[in-house]
Amino acid sequence: MTNAYKYSIIYFLAFSLLLMISGVLLFEYKIGFSVEQISSYYLGDEDKFMNPQTSSGILKIITPHIFAFGLFIMVLLHFLIFTKKRSSKILKAVIYLTFLSAILELLSPFGIINSIEFFAYVKLLSFIIFELLVLFSSWLLFRSIVYE
Amino acid sequence: MRFTLIKDLKQDSMMKPILSGLLLFTLLYLISDIFVKYSSFGVFEETIKTTLFGNEDEFLDPITTSAFLEFWHMEIFFIMMILLTLSAVFIRLSGAKGFNIIIVKAVMISALISLVALLLSFFVNAVFVQLYVLSFFLWHICAFYMSLYSLIKFYYD
Repeated sequence: MTNAYKYSIIYFLAFSLLLMISGVLLFEYKIGFSVEQISSYYLGDEDKFMNPQTSSGILKIITPHIFAFGLFIMVLLHFLIFTKKRSSKILKAVIYLTFLSAILELLSPFGIINSIEFFAYVKLLSFIIFELLVLFSSWLLFRSIVYE
Repeated sequence: MRFTLIKDLKQDSMMKPILSGLLLFTLLYLISDIFVKYSSFGVFEETIKTTLFGNEDEFLDPITTSAFLEFWHMEIFFIMMILLTLSAVFIRLSGAKGFNIIIVKAVMISALISLVALLLSFFVNAVFVQLYVLSFFLWHICAFYMSLYSLIKFYYD
């Protein structure tokens, strides 16, 4: 990998960090980081004048995210294949877990609007796991560019 | 990113039209992005301030926090994907030397500054709007140069 490509990847990681921060801020402002807040966001709350979310409304939000998540994860993780971590078991686990947590994060609202409270926990946990995995992958990539 | 592995990109009859198309679309995006922002969010200091903080005299409401964060979130995603792709093509075609390396750094840093300045304008102080406007135009100019330079390199070099 030439130095110029390394520069662009490091800048890409900086953008990824901003993307993660914006995701966390959006989650906090729109939904909230507690199971009760997640449930009331999707099921509605009369006291807060919040309407319940509908399947079509959720689908409208997640459709662009399905593509964006897939593309972002692919771009971020495929850079790791060019590092020394290429054939490690950790990388394999990170790849599967990142896609799994992303899909759970996207689809769990459908469970919540069907009054299955368990999915509020899934939504919260999958979001946190996804963010941590992206940060971990970014750190692995950053370390390999700087130190290898 | 297979084009980073092809030996002579300019002689490759398949990759040449594909990458030319990508560069042309990037140019179109950069131009239309300015026009779209001009008619919605604003590209100059006063209009951006009106969008962010509203205007009592004209009875205009400020943008809501969640709407602003959604806008910011989308901007980050679009900019990061466009600049990563564009810089990969540009580095491959320009040979990544001298002035061109400075341009790559300038486009990335100014785009990052524009995003951070936008967030600070909304949450911290309106003074950061100036920085946002400056960096917004700077990264667009650099990205425009990169796309145009790569296209010219393809056909006239």
